[in-house]
Amino acid sequence: MKTAVFWGCRILTSQYAYELSLREVLPKLGVELVDLSESVCCGDPIKSVNDFAANYLGARVIALAGLTGLENLLVPCNRCHFTISESRNIMKSDPRISGKIKDLLREEGLQYSEIKIWHTIDFLHDCIGIEQIKKAVIKPLTGIKVATHVGCQIIRYSDLGRVDNAENPRKLDELICALGAETVDYEEKLDCCGYSLILSHPDSALSLTGSKLKAVQKLPVDSLVVSCPDCQTMFDSKQKDAETTVGAKFSIPVMYYTQLLGLALNVDENRLGLNMNQSPVDQLSAKIASHQNISRRLSGT
Amino acid sequence: MSMAKPNLEARGKVLTKLHGREMVNCFQCMKCTSGCTALKLLELKPHEIIKLVNLGFVDELPTSDIIWTCVTCLKCVERCPQKASPYHVIMALRNLAVEKEAKVPEDYLKAVSHILETGLTDTPKKIVTRKLQTVDRDSLKLPKIKPPMESFQSALMKAMEEK
Amino acid sequence: MVRDGFIVTKIGVYVCHCGLNIAGVVDVEKVAEYAKNLPDVAVSRHYTYMCSEPGQRMVQDDIKTLGIDRIVIAACSPKMHEDTFRRAVSETGLNPYLTEIVNLREHVSWVHTHEPEKATEKAEGLVRMGVARVRLLEPLKNRRVKVEKSVLIVGGGIAGIQSSLDLANAGFKVYLVEKSPSIGGRMSQLDKTFPTLDCSACILTPKMVDAAKHRNIMLLTNAEVMEVKGFVGNYEVSIFKKPRYVDAKKCVGCELCTRVCPVKVPDEFNENLSEKRAISIHSAHAVPKIAMINPNYCLRLKYNKGVCAKCQNACEAMAINFEQKPEVNQVKVGAIILAVGSEVFNASKMAELGYGRFKNVISNIEFERISDASGPTGGKIVTPKDHKMLKTIVFVQCVGSRDKRFHEYCCRVGCMVTLKQAILAREKIEENVRIYVCYIDLRAFGKGYEEFYRRARDMDIDFIAGIPSEIHGSPDGSLYFDVYDKGTNKLLQITADLVVLGTGLVPNRDMGHLSALVHASRSADGFFLEAHPKLKPLESAMSGVFLAGACQGPKDIPDTVAQASGAAAKVIDLLSNGEIELEPLKAVVNKELCSGCNICGSICPFAAIEIHLEKAEEGAKYRAEVIEAMCQGCGLCCPACPSGAIKMPQFTTSQVLSQVEAALAEPLVKGGK
Repeated sequence: MKTAVFWGCRILTSQYAYELSLREVLPKLGVELVDLSESVCCGDPIKSVNDFAANYLGARVIALAGLTGLENLLVPCNRCHFTISESRNIMKSDPRISGKIKDLLREEGLQYSEIKIWHTIDFLHDCIGIEQIKKAVIKPLTGIKVATHVGCQIIRYSDLGRVDNAENPRKLDELICALGAETVDYEEKLDCCGYSLILSHPDSALSLTGSKLKAVQKLPVDSLVVSCPDCQTMFDSKQKDAETTVGAKFSIPVMYYTQLLGLALNVDENRLGLNMNQSPVDQLSAKIASHQNISRRLSGT
Repeated sequence: MSMAKPNLEARGKVLTKLHGREMVNCFQCMKCTSGCTALKLLELKPHEIIKLVNLGFVDELPTSDIIWTCVTCLKCVERCPQKASPYHVIMALRNLAVEKEAKVPEDYLKAVSHILETGLTDTPKKIVTRKLQTVDRDSLKLPKIKPPMESFQSALMKAMEEK
Repeated sequence: MVRDGFIVTKIGVYVCHCGLNIAGVVDVEKVAEYAKNLPDVAVSRHYTYMCSEPGQRMVQDDIKTLGIDRIVIAACSPKMHEDTFRRAVSETGLNPYLTEIVNLREHVSWVHTHEPEKATEKAEGLVRMGVARVRLLEPLKNRRVKVEKSVLIVGGGIAGIQSSLDLANAGFKVYLVEKSPSIGGRMSQLDKTFPTLDCSACILTPKMVDAAKHRNIMLLTNAEVMEVKGFVGNYEVSIFKKPRYVDAKKCVGCELCTRVCPVKVPDEFNENLSEKRAISIHSAHAVPKIAMINPNYCLRLKYNKGVCAKCQNACEAMAINFEQKPEVNQVKVGAIILAVGSEVFNASKMAELGYGRFKNVISNIEFERISDASGPTGGKIVTPKDHKMLKTIVFVQCVGSRDKRFHEYCCRVGCMVTLKQAILAREKIEENVRIYVCYIDLRAFGKGYEEFYRRARDMDIDFIAGIPSEIHGSPDGSLYFDVYDKGTNKLLQITADLVVLGTGLVPNRDMGHLSALVHASRSADGFFLEAHPKLKPLESAMSGVFLAGACQGPKDIPDTVAQASGAAAKVIDLLSNGEIELEPLKAVVNKELCSGCNICGSICPFAAIEIHLEKAEEGAKYRAEVIEAMCQGCGLCCPACPSGAIKMPQFTTSQVLSQVEAALAEPLVKGGK
């Protein structure tokens, strides 16, 4: 099947691993990604500046997706997914605003039309399905334990219709179990990574990141798995900075689910952008490899 | 202690930006503040912001720093028993701050001007890998960035004039 | 009155101001003026409160002195005062069914409040329609029917028990139907009651025993109402009695059977905090004290094999009967009281508080069982599963109530229940336990309630003005969370051994089924709808169906008992004469026009039409007949009949069409559609 894809800003300008890994694993699951005609912002930072303009940009992304003629739009970034979902909600519920937005779009030669909006997690869990993913696994991640962090803006607020249950999100856990690994629950699971504050209040942002990492460090897990470029930026790229802020030492491998999925599909590490992860992901790859050796020895292959 | 005068017009303005979230129904249960991610570190009290706006004490808020401390985790929207949604009120106050040309954190204004110029909030960066190699979109063979249509800039500017 | 082929009549039109309710929007003088010019209108007046004594007398005087013989009252909804005006008219000797109510309040002033000119024109149009119809109304006579001096009470909690006793003492026969094996309901699960801290069982069990022994009360436990036919004064009810598999006449309640039964079953009475056996007596104070086998767990009954039977072997009274069949009792009653109570909100829906995830987060009804000496911990206030001692207890209010995500209403009792439980915890736990109550508003509204709140504060119970957003659990079973206190402006970080959620009262799961059975509507919050929220809280809009207790809205015991006695009084009021007057608004078949096609019978939702073979001069012919006992006057049959053979008095084709013609005679709104 084909799906349009909207990357937003962060994935295109710094979080390349997410794009690389998605482009690698989706074809192996029978999905072809179709890029939009423009690389443009969803409007998230503009929400704080001018709500109308932000809704305009969100609606504009939907209009651009409409140009592909496809039914589905995949939005891998949590914040983009939220912003575009709020735009879509306004277009449905407020005729005055949607009228103005449609006029503006028309001036650009664009038309607004409905499209199904997905995030990586529900696209894999609901659209492709757990069974399909299980079947595609070549190197099951047996013996690997993982903590998940789905983030904030894809599970809240429920009224808007989100990707998973706001108080007990399980889809990412199920996606990881489909790879043969186990997930571990923890009280801090729903806490925010703090990304929003990184530019204006960096200490506070890193303090939030550090608190969560402290909690994950105590768990018997081999990795923390995320699905948003902003969460990855905090837990992975800024793990060392967080150490300084909260006065702790961390050595937690942090990666995107699509990277973990890629490992289970036997994709080469470099093609998944794992070299770009700043956290000690080699620990995890080594463990996966050794577990595979053990199971091979046990099964006599 | 000072006798503050309420500004009901400004309060009405905030109400129009809320798209049906019911700020006026807040009965100060403290649930939002009890669970606010930004409370401990930055002293953000969402219940206080809503009460101030409800009573009309709007003027002090757009010029304050406190409205920029919200991490947008949306827990307050999810759990509020009256759908009062402090997050949306804070966003409306931020919009008012921009309208009044009060202090807005630099990074937002930088992001806006970058978007107007290029369509994105930033330019593609060079990344240093764990093995200390430098990579970028080209070296990773990722597709080129496609700038937006010419009409984009003027359309966005027009949209930003909407109050 | 017809003279020379023309209908001659003198119509009186009375336009009510209803204070400012109507006159604030509609120009009532103009409407009264307009009505003067309508055909056959002999007098047209307007007055501030038509329903008042002078208002009614105005109508009566015109009937007596001016010979008015048709009345149009343009006022509020007929649901308010149709009876009032009919009574006023009948006092003059004129037939009350020659009165027409035109609704200028709910249909005009209350819905077109911001368009006074158009509203006035609409009012004129509605009056014009009313005048057209009233001209064609026929005099009708109320029918007197005998009524059954017996009552069905659905629900055997304190409300049902109280109503039963009041009615039984007044000489009425009462069928008290209770779905569980024992009466007593929610009150029997309580340890103490606020604000007196009376032992609940001590004040309840005497009444339970009285109800069981009363010669006028027939107790039907383990039973449910299956079907209700008929109408006010003459209901036919089918009651389905589930089998206990124990002969009620033989069982002495010795519980030898319970001791030998090998199957453990969650004990619902103890809110599943403990286990009982597949054969057991419902609770410590059960009435009747008769054992019952749960067929979903009993090895013999569930698998339908000849196994076990240990209970049968142990029973010295030979009361066990695995072959016992369900029974259906048919009874005739004159009125029905609904007293089915309410349920407790399932707090796992509010997932952030951890109910269902953490064993030491419990609901208030679970706390009540823990506190009760006959409960799962023998009355010791400890953690439910591990029976650990408590150092800190926290109560969190408004769980599931005052919440647009779940139930918008305030549950009314939550604050008082928590105060009671906090005080009991303080009294029963010897060590210095910290007790906190996290609240939004503290509502202690009743007699002695505020004093009870003061008592709690006197006992070092700490009140935190704020509720937590989420509750977390530690591996050792304790809970921890943050809560912001409005009073001190501090974020309190609390660790507790036990968190008690002030879960609210919600409509019983059977409400939908019962509502359909007796045609009693429900309000938006899901509880039964009373006929008028201020003045008729004890009856539903359905004649003959009364409401008592929490099923009409969450409430505490004093209010429940008051309402139950009130409902009983209403029933006595209705049935004490042995007969009642019924509105003659039931379908009537014109035998000459009826062809017996049964289209009407197939449409009737109340199965009130039967086809009979009737002997006539021309031979036998099929004809429809309306069973008046079942006809509810809905009128569906009338338009369905292809020959116009069945009609509803006061809603005949010509009466209704005359209104339509009057409506179209002039545009209702100038320049309007």
